[in-house]
Amino acid sequence: MDEGDPTRRNLLAGASGIAASALAGCSERLWTRAENTAPEQVELTIKTVPADDDAAAAKIMSHLRENYQAAGIDATHEPIAKAELYRDILLEGDYDVFVVRHPGFDEYDALFELLHSQFVSGRGWQNPFHYSDVTADEHLESQRTSRGDRHNAMAELVEYLEETAPYTVVVFPHHIGAVSADIPITSSPREPLEFYRILSTETENGPRDGPLEVGVFGEGLTERLNPIIVDRNRIDGLLGLLYDPLVRRRSGESIPWLASDVTWEESGRTSATITLRDGLSWHDGTDIDADDVVFTYRFIQDTSMGDIDGGLPAPRYRGRQTIAENVTRVDSRTVRFSFGNTVRSASTRSLTIPILPEHIWEPRSEVIAQRQTEALVVEDEELIGSGPFELGEVTDTAIQLVPFDEHVFRDSSSDRPFVLDGFSQYSGIRFRIDPNPGAMIDAILDGEIDLTATTIPPGETAPIVAHDEIRLTSVQTDSFYMIGYNVHHSELGNPRFRRVLSRLIDREYTVSELFDGFAQPANSFSSLVGIRDDRWEHRTDPILPQFPGTDGEIDVEQVRTLFEDAGYQYENGSLLE
Amino acid sequence: MSLVGVVLELALVVTTMLVVATLVLVGPRRVASSTRDFRWRLRRCTLPLAVLVFVLALRWSTVDIVVRLERRVLGIEISGFLFELEQSIFPENPVVILQSFQSPELTSFFVFVYIYGYAFLLLFPFIAYFALEEIDELRTLILAFAANYGIGLICYIFFVAFGPRNYDPLLFEGLLYDAFPQARMLTNQVNQSTNVFPSLHTSLSMTVFFLAWLSREKYPLWVPISGFFAVSVVISTMYLGIHWFSDVVAGTILALVSVYIARNFTIRETAGSARRYLNTRLDRSDRVDGD
Repeated sequence: MDEGDPTRRNLLAGASGIAASALAGCSERLWTRAENTAPEQVELTIKTVPADDDAAAAKIMSHLRENYQAAGIDATHEPIAKAELYRDILLEGDYDVFVVRHPGFDEYDALFELLHSQFVSGRGWQNPFHYSDVTADEHLESQRTSRGDRHNAMAELVEYLEETAPYTVVVFPHHIGAVSADIPITSSPREPLEFYRILSTETENGPRDGPLEVGVFGEGLTERLNPIIVDRNRIDGLLGLLYDPLVRRRSGESIPWLASDVTWEESGRTSATITLRDGLSWHDGTDIDADDVVFTYRFIQDTSMGDIDGGLPAPRYRGRQTIAENVTRVDSRTVRFSFGNTVRSASTRSLTIPILPEHIWEPRSEVIAQRQTEALVVEDEELIGSGPFELGEVTDTAIQLVPFDEHVFRDSSSDRPFVLDGFSQYSGIRFRIDPNPGAMIDAILDGEIDLTATTIPPGETAPIVAHDEIRLTSVQTDSFYMIGYNVHHSELGNPRFRRVLSRLIDREYTVSELFDGFAQPANSFSSLVGIRDDRWEHRTDPILPQFPGTDGEIDVEQVRTLFEDAGYQYENGSLLE
Repeated sequence: MSLVGVVLELALVVTTMLVVATLVLVGPRRVASSTRDFRWRLRRCTLPLAVLVFVLALRWSTVDIVVRLERRVLGIEISGFLFELEQSIFPENPVVILQSFQSPELTSFFVFVYIYGYAFLLLFPFIAYFALEEIDELRTLILAFAANYGIGLICYIFFVAFGPRNYDPLLFEGLLYDAFPQARMLTNQVNQSTNVFPSLHTSLSMTVFFLAWLSREKYPLWVPISGFFAVSVVISTMYLGIHWFSDVVAGTILALVSVYIARNFTIRETAGSARRYLNTRLDRSDRVDGD
């Protein structure tokens, strides 16, 4: 039968021929599809704290997410509790974009540790963006070392940072507090010196035989007490009351603290010789000497004290520690710091690190896991420091600081810093911890606390204003809300992209709508990197690009043009990689 | 007001509600007769009660470990996912819709329901079922609660999520703690802000309602009352900005599963069959070893 059916065979042959040729044409398309991946929409996850921890940060995030989405970015938001957020952004580098409140710079030189590529693999607030830029490094170094024209070097740095935008500042929030009428202060405290001033000022009722009652709120404030770690929530100023540094700084001025005297040598290379005060001791009674000072700087540089190759620095105070090139003991009460070419005002920052007791922390240099020392995980329940207060009872709802009577500043006849004139009008401090601002505000309205310390959200000031016996205080601080970018992200590595992103938040609108006016917008070159305008006395800035939109909302067409000018494309309203 | 103050107020209000409900729904006679042979009743529920106490003790004692495990090791952050999911399903987020009806009276009502109504809803069935001739309903109730807490605990370890009020304060309002900030002292004692999926407020309230329906012949009046409270609690969790709609759906499913478990399994039987299963496995492996 087979031979008798030639047509069928021909037909089959013909059909397979057609199929093969058809496939040949088609297969090229299939191959192309398989070989090339189409560009996808840009995805960004914004991390910030939940509204409970910081309502303002969560609101800025919300505003930002809407604008990113309108600009065609696939933006999502991930709220994370404060301690875990710090862990993700400052230790793990696990983020795309974050919105966080930065405590503010103590000096221009703080930018060095934030941005210098020397810290590109650093932990803590040492270059959390993984930013590495040769030009920026040069500017950072030159502001640190140029003696004649530091201002000019700073101005160049600030302008360069506007172009490359490793992060951007949104607003400088006011610190809002509530103070009961009998406490004669004009702002609620955040820093140790502000606490000392309150404690040294007599109230209308004379010295009090009881502690100053301070209201704070937040989650996990009594957990992970350890002065050198960053992944925790903390009460501002608390550690500074327990631990003394050599020197404290206030508005550019330095106040010798543990040091009785600081002698600077500035001709040629900068160095300082520190003499410790007489009769200093730790809270456990051990004497403080020059070895503790030398140890502290070595320990922050390497918490393993040489056991880990290359060292494992503490995530906190690391930047300030690196300013000191060498710390050597001269005798039991004298230490010599050399700072290389660094100018004195920047070098002083290094002296503000709290000094740690060697006999407590040296044993904690033990390596307990891969590149991990006990010092960085230990929960320090005693916090043995050298401050005029020692840690008292700690519960979930309160932290008590009790007077440390052996401290030299407890003796009013000693040569104390002027801020301590009249110290102390109270027998210690009690921090009352509430779960949220509402409960803290009710506590002061009910007379249960003297003043509040954690800043009050702008929307919750009404009951304080209405109360006769309580004053609302609002002051500018150096603290700012920032948007940080992870340079390791494929798009965020591009400075042009970051620069456009940095413009997608309406700072004026943020101040008026989200902060009820209790903030200053960052709208100059210096303020965009975190230096408040009134701290910037240099040449006038060129005009900054405006927010591309109105009333908080972006003008989609305008933003598209900005991204297209930066080399990006759109498809169906989506911004492509 | 301190934590003690808040707890005292809660105890006072809820006790009053319980006394009134007991007098009306159960009646003094039934209460009196049930207290006469309370030993027998207690003995019959010892086992489920022990399981519930064990689960609660586990939850309470492992809070620190669980929080650390959930936030730092095992947990997956899903609030972004829940938000996007609801944005894509609904034209407007259900929480936003509910909050658009906001009024001071409504807020007071839902705050009351969320805290006092919920406590009442959970406690009253214990009294009601205790007073019955048979003790089966009480055993089911206890077992269902244990299942709710147990499964909820496991979910919380794996799912890290913040509620609407914490997620986006511009879209959603945190009405509960605006109206009654001290309530946080109370809720802090029993829960963490990242434990929202599923909603245990929903699952336990719905469990009570489902069991009320199943025992409708014994307490017909309790069905509408528990239904009113349960639905109010469910709505309050969303109205107050605590939970997502998804949490509520998951909570309702958890309630169904828990009731199913409690109705169809008893601890003795489950333990017995587990023992038999292990025995046969061990026998077999013995035999294999013997070969």
